[in-house]
Amino acid sequence: MNRKKTVTILFIFISLLSFGQLPKITFTPHWLPQSQFAGYYMALEKGFYEQEGIDVDIVHPSASLMATDRLLKEESDIISLFLITALATKSEELDMVNISQLSQNSALLFVSKKGSGIKSIEDLNNKRIGIWESGFDEVPKALVNSNNYKVDWIPILSSVNMFMIDGVDAMTVMWYNEYDQIINSGFNPDELNTFLFSDYGYNIPEDGLYCLNKTLIQRKDDLRKFVAGTFRGWEYAKENKEETLAVVLRLMTEEHIPTNLAHQSWMLDQVLKLIEPGIKSVEKGELAESDFHKTQNILYEGKYIDKKYQFSEFYKPVK
Amino acid sequence: MKLSFNINKSLAMRLVLYVLSFCVFLFIVSLAFFYFFSKQSIEKMTVNNAEAITQNTVLQTEQVLIATEKILTNYKWLFESKQLNCDSLQAITKLIVKSNPEIMGSAIAFEPNFFPDKGRYFCPYTYRDKDSIVSMYLGNANYEYFVMDWYQVPATINKAYWTEPYFDEGGSNALITSYSIPFHKTINGEKKFVGVITIDLSLSWLTDIVSKVSVLESGYAAVISRNGTFVTHPNNELIMNHTIFSYAAELNSVELREIGRKMQKGETDFASVNLKNTNWIISYTPLTLSNWSLAVLFPKAEMYAPLRSITTTLILLVVIGLILLTIVVYRIVTEQVAPLRLFANSAHEVANGNFNNELPEITTEDEMKDLHDSFVHMQGDLKNYIENLKNTTSAKEKIESELRIAREIQMGMIPKIFPPFPNVTEIDLYAMLEPAKEVGGDLYDFFLIDDEHLCFAIGDVSGKGVPASLFMAVTRTLLRSVAPNELSPSVIVNSLNKSLAFGNESSMFVTFFLGIIELKTGRIKYTNAGHNPPVHVHAGGEVKFLPITKDIPIGLFEEFSYQEKEMKLKPHDKMLLYTDGITEAENKNEELYSDQRLINCISIYLRKPPKELIQHIAMDVAEHVQDNQQSDDLTMLSIIFNGGKKEKNNA
Repeated sequence: MNRKKTVTILFIFISLLSFGQLPKITFTPHWLPQSQFAGYYMALEKGFYEQEGIDVDIVHPSASLMATDRLLKEESDIISLFLITALATKSEELDMVNISQLSQNSALLFVSKKGSGIKSIEDLNNKRIGIWESGFDEVPKALVNSNNYKVDWIPILSSVNMFMIDGVDAMTVMWYNEYDQIINSGFNPDELNTFLFSDYGYNIPEDGLYCLNKTLIQRKDDLRKFVAGTFRGWEYAKENKEETLAVVLRLMTEEHIPTNLAHQSWMLDQVLKLIEPGIKSVEKGELAESDFHKTQNILYEGKYIDKKYQFSEFYKPVK
Repeated sequence: MKLSFNINKSLAMRLVLYVLSFCVFLFIVSLAFFYFFSKQSIEKMTVNNAEAITQNTVLQTEQVLIATEKILTNYKWLFESKQLNCDSLQAITKLIVKSNPEIMGSAIAFEPNFFPDKGRYFCPYTYRDKDSIVSMYLGNANYEYFVMDWYQVPATINKAYWTEPYFDEGGSNALITSYSIPFHKTINGEKKFVGVITIDLSLSWLTDIVSKVSVLESGYAAVISRNGTFVTHPNNELIMNHTIFSYAAELNSVELREIGRKMQKGETDFASVNLKNTNWIISYTPLTLSNWSLAVLFPKAEMYAPLRSITTTLILLVVIGLILLTIVVYRIVTEQVAPLRLFANSAHEVANGNFNNELPEITTEDEMKDLHDSFVHMQGDLKNYIENLKNTTSAKEKIESELRIAREIQMGMIPKIFPPFPNVTEIDLYAMLEPAKEVGGDLYDFFLIDDEHLCFAIGDVSGKGVPASLFMAVTRTLLRSVAPNELSPSVIVNSLNKSLAFGNESSMFVTFFLGIIELKTGRIKYTNAGHNPPVHVHAGGEVKFLPITKDIPIGLFEEFSYQEKEMKLKPHDKMLLYTDGITEAENKNEELYSDQRLINCISIYLRKPPKELIQHIAMDVAEHVQDNQQSDDLTMLSIIFNGGKKEKNNA
């Protein structure tokens, strides 16, 4: 370990001597610190980025400055985004491209209490369904609209309280996050009905890495190094969960975000599963063209966008 | 010595062991009962105590909550009943904050576009910022208060709502909960929801109340919110970070999760739970106004600590008591059984023949005294008995020695030198007498009456032992005195009978055979007085019983007249005389030797000289009798006639 460290330091030192400072990359995940981004934290923590030859700074978004804002303002070089968010927000102004697709699977689901009478997806018709006020509503709405259900969408900030007090009949949640919050608020899994979007033909990939097109042209090598370091970080997180969770909890405490080990541990396990392509005919980190088209069609048919991109315009992997 | 010591030791030890075992058993049972019931009563006390503590704590918190709720209820009434002047509302929020030091902020939030000229958002808000009070209006594109829990939940459920606790990061940095109540207006005859009044309440007072709850050393109280979030807990890291359910997941405690669910449902109950290897009794009860729940935790180890210490002391005392008891019991028993040891020694001495050995002195009037008396009695009896035994033994020895002498005398009476008449070549003769007891009643005799006549006789006196032997001696003596002058067997027998029968008060009798052989010719005259018929062994091989005179034994009737018969032995003929001791010899199966077997035996050895013939018959009888005790005298006499001298000479 010490020898490894020494080698690393030596390497960095030589790099500094040779090229002066390491090229700097500012990365912004699309949400506050949590296990969802454990791979980036571990890549930084374990020096994988430095070993790749870049100096990475992770800056989280805030309520007033979202990841996309930071990218637009060029305060961040790379951001993570849901595939659907990226496709919905890509514009001439925010000319971003996907350089790597981390998540291959959808973690979205509707959850209802068994007592609510919603036993099958059809039962959602004419029901009140909670949905994030801040976005990520495209896929749930597409799923509901494709079945011609009438749904009263109730905007919810971020808590599960509306669900807990029966303010909604069902709620849109992430498997790795809000679902576990409900469990941690006293509901047992057997008291809940779950409708995973992936089971209804909407296995839309989520987290991916994005940068501006011009950054890709100018700094392709640095981006490649970032992606390589990131995957090493995820690999490390997978093999060293305890250490990883300790880092995540530390970062969350520093940011005064209430959390606990049980929840972050659940989240890490689930996020790691999402990275695996499974039956999809792509490698880890690749975006399947079919997923791209399916996602873009959801947005187009939902009238979120009026212009379609070519796959090659959107997906420019930096392998 | 060793024996007595062992009895003493083992008895004492055994008694001590029994007493001790029973005491230990009693003690364990009593202790178990004591422990069990004490534990139960402690648990009961704890439960009562828990009830008191939780109720008291709940009461204190409810007071604050009620007071807070009242403030808003009053304003709600005001807003619903009066015409609302939107510009005066900020003053109300200010007043609420100003006049209630525990209130950190207050807002009156309206539905979108309620006041058309105020736009989408209208929410006058006043909050405490350290020492100053700041007023402002909430709501913009980045702060859609309509989706905030404090607005959205009461608006949706149309009921007052205490929010989940949260950190007021901007202002006091304290833990805060908001209490919101929806209010309505009747517009165009329709009652419509128009907004909520809310106040932010710092939870420091709750933390104060709950943290003051102290139970024993490490017991404590905690409050969880509706969702199970820790609002207060001695471990600050749990507050807001954990729900009771996530904590249960981390501790891998299914029980804690179940307790959490019951608390969430507003139940009041007790439960036992193990958290981080510590056993607790949890008493929980809801804070009904806010749907929160209070738990008081009692550390079991500490609850039972006094009981444990009492029990430990008790065990220690009892152990000391048992040790003392052992010593005392051992001493007492040893002392009590000490005479036994002495008695054992005495018994040993007595066994060694020392009857005058002194017995231990017993002063008590108990079983020991009885034992002592028994010993004295035994000692005396044994002494007498041994004395008697000595006398009897010496008497017996004397009799035995006399009997031995009598036997010698008796045996001395009958001729025992064989061959008896080496010069008399006409005959050879052999006889044996083996008495069943020391002295017997059988007799045989032979003697030369003159140069040509040999008298031979065999007899069996009725009965056995000394009387029979005496009678036999008399018979034999009489025979010797009567025979020398007489050649007729019947005359001799008659004479014998007369002498014996005369004054025969003991009524003893003798079966008797007497023969006189003429040596020259082998002619024999004989008289048989009730005796077994002798066997005539012909030289040619024929073996048969001699025809006998049918006369009664001698000694019975004085006047009885005995007959005589005559027969002749051819050269090399033999005659065998015997008593019934031979033919009636019994084996273990009570089978007799029998006449037939005698004849058979003789037939086998008929060519043997008298001595060998008799020895063979004796061996055959011994073989028949085997180990069975000899019950009668065994007597045999055999004569072989070798042929007359003259005839021999003539030949």
